This record gives sequence, structure tokens and C-alpha cells, in this order.
Amino acid sequence: MSESKSETVSLLIDNYQRDDENFDKAIFDLIEDEQLSDTWERYHLLGDVLRGETKASLPHDFSAQIAQAIAEEPTVLAPTAQTSQVSPFKAKVVSLFKPVGQLAIAASAAGLMIFGVQQNTASNNAADPSFNPVVQTTPFGGVADPVSLNFQQPDINAQKRAYIEQQRRFQALLSDHQRQIKLVSGENNKTQNISNRKEKAEDTPK
Amino acid sequence: MNSKTSPKYYLLILLLGMMCCLPSTYAASNDHSDAKDNISAELWLNNLSNALQHLNFSTSFVVVKNNQAEPYHWYHGVDQQGIEYEVLSVLNGPRRDTLRRDNVVRLLEPDSQPYSVNSKNISGPIPSVFRQNIDVLTKSYDFVSVGKSRILGRPAQIIRVVPKDADRYGYWLWLDQESSLLLKTAMITRKGHLLEQVQFTYLEITKQLSKSLANLAKAELPKVIDIPKMATSNDFSWQVNWLPLGFKQIKADHHQINLTKQTVEFMQFSDGLVNVSVYVAPSNLTSRPVEYVKDGATIVLTQVTNGKEISVVGKVPGDTAKAIADSVSFRNRTH
Repeated sequence: MSESKSETVSLLIDNYQRDDENFDKAIFDLIEDEQLSDTWERYHLLGDVLRGETKASLPHDFSAQIAQAIAEEPTVLAPTAQTSQVSPFKAKVVSLFKPVGQLAIAASAAGLMIFGVQQNTASNNAADPSFNPVVQTTPFGGVADPVSLNFQQPDINAQKRAYIEQQRRFQALLSDHQRQIKLVSGENNKTQNISNRKEKAEDTPK
Repeated sequence: MNSKTSPKYYLLILLLGMMCCLPSTYAASNDHSDAKDNISAELWLNNLSNALQHLNFSTSFVVVKNNQAEPYHWYHGVDQQGIEYEVLSVLNGPRRDTLRRDNVVRLLEPDSQPYSVNSKNISGPIPSVFRQNIDVLTKSYDFVSVGKSRILGRPAQIIRVVPKDADRYGYWLWLDQESSLLLKTAMITRKGHLLEQVQFTYLEITKQLSKSLANLAKAELPKVIDIPKMATSNDFSWQVNWLPLGFKQIKADHHQINLTKQTVEFMQFSDGLVNVSVYVAPSNLTSRPVEYVKDGATIVLTQVTNGKEISVVGKVPGDTAKAIADSVSFRNRTH
């Protein structure tokens, strides 16, 4: 393994790119050359260990395991005879279930509109399964079906009010937090400022 | 080596041996290309702090979060007497301006009268710790210089402020190679997920104090308001029992929240980079499961337990906010 090649690997790991042909070639080399791939893997592993992220990373021979699994998988050639038999049946199933699916999508869209902000934010946390506090508004599906139009009105209003109230609460906390940060930065300097103020007091009389 | 050599030493030697076997280029990977790469991350951040305090600069930047961009102007200058002037304005929506002359900061906000506080720093989208000594961060963060990139048409040096534990987010900075000023910042989760970023769109460094800042020298600033004294732990019937390492209490008081007129008991904590607020208020419910929203990196989390509403706000991961809220305990005495 030549010095320059492994240098290229380290450049790539640092996300440092160079616009020249040799560099492009080096990338291909990296993919082709088993030894270089190993170097790449080792550098990353080193980086992970140094940053203390080994727990989160995959087992070190993950790619090898995948490669092996793929190699062991029997190659299946397209079974043409079977598919022609299956497809009419499949089509029926699809036509039967399609309306239901569409309904479900429509329902979830309505849900999204109501839960708007919260749904958005919940997805941010999707990567973190240990933490799922579901935002609780008035139960969406748990409200008794209204008997007449007269009953429907207050229900929706109550939901809306609860939602607006909740948003207001969040907004109030957020802006107070930001305001307090501004006030805090003042307090931190208070001790230093006492001396400054004295100087100023002396300055002002003239 | 004598016979007392313990197995520990063998292990050490083994480890050292392994390190020597690793390709030497890895160790050298940080000093490819020119000499500026050798400057440590700490030195870059010290240069940034110097630049932010001593240079005359006019900048524009946008804060990008929640698929929205919020534009700002930011000017800074120093006059011949060494007095600093600084202006930070939000360009969209209602006027929110912050002016600073030396150690007086005037805040102009839509929901309150203009007021001033005594401070050497404007608190805005750029954490004020980068103007100061970054040593306060070393307890909770590592600084890593990771490479170069091109930002705002300039060669930039990337510095990462990497949290030492999973309880907080990381902060990445792209610094101008020439002036060490900021070109971009980003707040990143441990898994590399981008939460919010600040992208500079204009940067001009001048020798002289700009005219608008010179006017600030003559401007009259509103009277400095008094900030209530920090409440002691005895004033509250509750306490926070868990915080990520390095967080210190910087504030505690009773106050009214502007928007809802609700009176809250309040504590704020900081690890130097991010601030976390904890609010406690009586609730007419006995319990309410945890609710939260996120605004970029900032989480607002509230829950009601035993008739007390506990809220946590700050730029920390959801797990951390929840753990802080759960750690609040009450003493069995009412007042």
C-alpha cells in the first residue's frame, strides 16, 4: 500500500476534496482495492473510538457480514410462469383494498392538519426510540360522535381552543426563555459593572 | 524493567505497539496541505474570540430552522477609545433590535417597552461564549479541527465543538481562514442530524468604525433596569436533582410570563454554550402527560405531576429535557 493512497483515504475521511483526475481515480481505487477499503474502515473505526461513538456504531465486520449474506443468498431468476398466475388475483385484492387505503390517507391528513406542529416535531425524534412523549391534545378519535349539528359545533371549538391554548403555552415559554437569556447575560456581568458604574458617575458631572 | 512490573504495563506496551503498527498517515492526516492546518482548534476559537471583540465588521446572516430562514444584520465596531459598539437586528416581521454600547445593551422588542440591561454581550443566534474565554466549555465539550471547506466564497476552517456525553448537542463552526470570523455555524445531534444553522450571507471588515455605529456613540439609551436578585434555594419548595455534567445555576426567581400572565418559579442553568430554563407553576390539573414542541434545536417540554406544571426549555435533546423535568422534586412544605 503506497503512502499517497492512504493519504487520499485520510483526505476523504476529513471530507477534503481535490479537483483532479488522480483524486477521482483514487476514489475508484478505494472501492476496488480491498486493502484500501480496509484502511478506510480502520480509520473510521479509529475516529469512532476517539470520539467515543463506538457504542452507537455497527459491529466492525458489519459490511463483511452483509457481503457474506448476499453471497449466500441463492440467485433467483425471474419466475415468469408464476407471476402471470398471481397478477389477476393480486389486482382484485388491490381493487378491494384501495378505497380503504385512500380513506386512511385522508383521515391521517386531517389528523396532520390538526396536530400540525407536534407531528412535525415528533418526527425529529423518530431516530430516538427511547424518547416518545406523544403530544396529548383532546383525544382525536375518542370524542363521542355528535348527534346533530348543534352538538358538533362546541366540540370542534373545544378542540380548537385546547389546541390554541397549548400552542400559546409553548410560545409563551419559548419567548420567556429567550427573554431570560438576555436578562441573564446582564446579570453575569453585574459584578464587573459596579466598578464601571462608579467611573461613569464620576464622568457625568462635567 | 524489574520483576514488580504489573500486567498493566504489559497492556500499555501492547497498546503502544498497536498504535505504532497503524499506518502513520492517520496521525499525519491533520497536517496535509499547508501549515495553517496545524493550528489547534483552541487557537482558532481564541482567534475568533479576539476577532469578535476587536474587528470592525458588518455582516448579514440567516438563521435556518424549521424550514424557515430568518434574516439578521449584525454590525460590530470599536472606536479609538476602545469602546465597543454592536447592533443586531431581525429584518423580517416586527422590529427586534439589540444595541450595545460598551456594557449597556438596549433591547427593543415588540411586546415590551425598550429597556436596557448591563451586559458586555448581545445574546442572539451566536452564543456569546465565542466572544469570551472558551475554557469554560472544556468541562463538557472537546474542540476538534476537522478540515476545510468553502463558505461565502471564502476558504473556511471547520471547527467542531463536540459534547463529551450524549446529553447535549454539538456545535460546528466554519471560520474565515483570513480573519477567523464566523461564516457559518450549525447545531448537530450526536448522530449528525442538522437541527439549525446560521449562514452568513455578507461579511465586510473595515478599518474604521462604520457610520451607523458611530451614531450609536451619541444615542441615548433607556435607563438600565434592575434585575431581581437571585432567589436562594430556600425560597422554592422544589429543586432540580439532575442536570448534565457542567451545567450550573445562573438564575432563579419568581416572575410573570409576558404572554400568559402566569406567575412561575424559575431557574436557569448553563453549561457555557446552551441555557436551560426550568419553570414550575401550580396547575388546576393533577397530572398531564409530557407534551413538547421543537423550534430548531430548542425543545419546549411540559408535564403536570401532582398538580405542578413543570416545564423545561432549552437547546438540549428531548431525553435530557425529560430527565431534567423528571428530576424535579418537591419538599413537603407549603408556603
